[in-house]
Amino acid sequence: MSDELDFSDLPDDELIQQTHDDLYDGLDVEVVAEVNEFLRRGWTPYETLTKGLVGGMDIVGIDFRDGILFVPEVLMAAKAMKAGMHILRPLLAETSAPQVGTMVIGTVKGDIHDIGKNLVAMMMEGAGFKVVNLGINNDAEKFINAIKEHQPDIIGMSALLTTTMPYMQVVIKALVEYSLREKVIVLVGGAPLNAAFAEEIEADAYCRDAAVAVDTAKKHVAIRRSKQ
Amino acid sequence: MSEPTPTCQIALMPSGRRGSVPAGTTLLEAARLLGVEIESICGGRQTCGKCQILIEEGHFPKHNLTSALAHLSPIDEREAAYRQLHDIGARRLACACEVLGDVLITVPEESQARKQIISKAATDRVIDVQPAVRQVYVEVRAAELDEVGGQGDWERVQEALAQQWHLNNVAIDPLLLPTLQPALKQGKHTLTLTLWQGRDSTGGSQAAEGPGVGARPANSSEVLRIQPGYAEGVYGLAVDVGSTTVVAHLCDLRTGAVLATEATMNPQVRFGEDLMSRVSYAMLQPQGVARMHRAIIGALNDLARKATADVGLTPEDVLDMVLVGNPVMHHLLLGIDPVELGGAPFALAIAAPIDMKARDLGLKLNTAARVHVLPNIAGHVGADNLAVQLAEAPHQQDEMMLVIDVGTNAEIVLGNREQVLCASSPTGPAFEGAQITHGQRAAPGAIERVRIDPTTLEPRHKVIGHDEWIDSVTAITASARATGICGSGIIEVVAELFTAGIIGADGRFSEAATERSPRVRFKGRTGEYVLVDSTHTATSQEIVVTQNDVRNIQLAKAALYAGAKLLMRHKGIEKVDRIVLAGAFGLHIDPHYAMILGLIPDCELSKVIAVGNAAGDGARIALLNREQRQEAARLALWVEHIQTAVDPNFQTEFVAALGLPNAVDAFPHLEGLLPAPVTGSPTRRSQRRHVRTQAESPIPG
Repeated sequence: MSDELDFSDLPDDELIQQTHDDLYDGLDVEVVAEVNEFLRRGWTPYETLTKGLVGGMDIVGIDFRDGILFVPEVLMAAKAMKAGMHILRPLLAETSAPQVGTMVIGTVKGDIHDIGKNLVAMMMEGAGFKVVNLGINNDAEKFINAIKEHQPDIIGMSALLTTTMPYMQVVIKALVEYSLREKVIVLVGGAPLNAAFAEEIEADAYCRDAAVAVDTAKKHVAIRRSKQ
Repeated sequence: MSEPTPTCQIALMPSGRRGSVPAGTTLLEAARLLGVEIESICGGRQTCGKCQILIEEGHFPKHNLTSALAHLSPIDEREAAYRQLHDIGARRLACACEVLGDVLITVPEESQARKQIISKAATDRVIDVQPAVRQVYVEVRAAELDEVGGQGDWERVQEALAQQWHLNNVAIDPLLLPTLQPALKQGKHTLTLTLWQGRDSTGGSQAAEGPGVGARPANSSEVLRIQPGYAEGVYGLAVDVGSTTVVAHLCDLRTGAVLATEATMNPQVRFGEDLMSRVSYAMLQPQGVARMHRAIIGALNDLARKATADVGLTPEDVLDMVLVGNPVMHHLLLGIDPVELGGAPFALAIAAPIDMKARDLGLKLNTAARVHVLPNIAGHVGADNLAVQLAEAPHQQDEMMLVIDVGTNAEIVLGNREQVLCASSPTGPAFEGAQITHGQRAAPGAIERVRIDPTTLEPRHKVIGHDEWIDSVTAITASARATGICGSGIIEVVAELFTAGIIGADGRFSEAATERSPRVRFKGRTGEYVLVDSTHTATSQEIVVTQNDVRNIQLAKAALYAGAKLLMRHKGIEKVDRIVLAGAFGLHIDPHYAMILGLIPDCELSKVIAVGNAAGDGARIALLNREQRQEAARLALWVEHIQTAVDPNFQTEFVAALGLPNAVDAFPHLEGLLPAPVTGSPTRRSQRRHVRTQAESPIPG
């Protein structure tokens, strides 16, 4: 095995390409070996993350958006990404690498569906975000507490039922009440939602799918940081 | 005098309905106000595109109006977004147009709601006829001058019932009392009494009883009708209140025979297409619950009128009724706000069966007629599912039976005489044609069968209303032109695309297939398949199946399969002995294709059977046999409900089930029917590697 996974003879650009391919294929053992190879060559954890892993997940995101990849393939890729991150995360914490951002995500109160939301969480992690996944059936208090604890840039809310999506507005009103609304970007998603609904409840954006969520999150974080 | 709101004249073709609506009303709403139902699945969000209409321009003397495109609000952003993805020509989306002036609108056939074929007929089942309502003939002693105190004619009827029928403690509906003495007189002291013999199964039913009827023992009898002399004929209605279709069977309670079956659209559809949108309507509209309650009661009264008229009877002849429906329908029937069913923990207002007077629900049957509502099991598994269980009786089998009732929310039952589990799974509306580019409900013109030649990739199809297979060169009449694809057609086309190698086991369109036929083509990065040429469609536009359509079917079928699989895991079994597909949809799916798609678990094909409207049959069983009502009450407590969505294995099973037929589970009964895994043909991943190989870089592994 170790022979097969010897990437030392690949030039840097091809090693990057290989990492992207293996992420795409969801090959976690290979991705771990490639991350180690980058580090051996003296790349910083941050460079390894952005050029190797995030670059690869970007391609996965585009192909998911375009309907070429589907949920199972994306989950495999995210799993490989996670394996790579397992090595990088402690190293990133030691260095003062720039933070891509933090997201708190959860399905709102009354709703118990979470596969779509988990997919968003994984794609966000794939894009380098730190993600705090609150799971299902979260009331406003849970979101507020999570914001206080994790100081996220973004909160993401999901709902699969037309009957539970109105609760998003309850959470947003609570954010206003606790003077937290200006501190976070609010992204919403789920099958029965649309952009008009997001606008009506004064969320920052509606995200049609996990790939759009990543793009939207990046864009909003960049805008926010440019203002600071 | 306040300034009147400006109104606009609207005429709708082909129905010819017209009237005025306030300016600013959407066309979709305006049509509803005028009694014309336009199809809408998304509920006016400009996403489903089912509400397309045409604006006729010019002056129309017959309708005394001048119609112009400019009399509608201009195309807004969201409609524009829809139009960008879908070429709808001159048509507009009714939900996006506000009426600003007089207009004449044509509603094309595919946009008309209420056109569904309702294929729910009572099947022949052997039912032991032992109804809750029956007739007894009595000879009543005449009053005497020296009668002891406390004795009236009713008491002498009770005496006769006790002596001649051994029936004690019989009560009478007080509203019948005025008919007693005239009947005695006319019948010369002989009467035919129609008796209800039931059991008050809920503590609260006394409150629901008619006025003046006090507390009664658990087992009780009540006189519902008094006829002079000897009389024959007692009838009942068994009704399955579906969220889309309501079906009523009129039965002779003596013989058990089904005399008439009538079906109608559930009129609540206009308040929301699916269950959750009806719950939303109840949440958001102050009078929402009352409106939906009145609508369904009105529909039941119509059905009672029609079904009795079919055989020369009147609703007055109906003495008993059994109602079944999913929990939301159940609650709305009873006038209960279904809001708690809209979110976790999905709390039912009541699970127990209900016995009450039909008149207390506003039902116009015989004044004293009874209603029995079967019990619910859980927030998503209702009286209709219990009716299915009564009909299919998994609890009486040795075989491990899987019963699937496919709808927007699929109910799944698994078990045998030892244990029965049930669950619901959110399949979404894809199987009903929503979220599918050219999807539609089952109606004349809808494609219901599809075959694709594995070599030439040329398709053949059948449309509802025509028996012949149609291919691209078949000469056809206008009525055989396809209008869209209905649920069974969608399942077949996706399965055929898979077996013909046009899509892979992951559901992706194969680029290589574009070389095999011009019917497979890529738009941008994703593929689609031209199922019907524009020459053979009602719209003169091609009917295509897109990558996104395939994805939506994958999601829907994975939810269904994962639910079934979780129940199997729960029971610790690998295979089932028998699969029963209930519901009108199940009747139209070809089990072979359902299995190729991985909609249902592997099973011997001959053991996969469709049973049609089993819920209606179950309602009929409960109508004709009062012991079965007790059985249902017992089952509701005995059956174990599993909440699949929160099961930690749900995601794993769901993801595996996205593959065709399944990424993990084997389907030995499909051996030889599935395409061989595509080997050698470059997948997208190895393709990229391939490019790199050509650049002569060493490849590890």
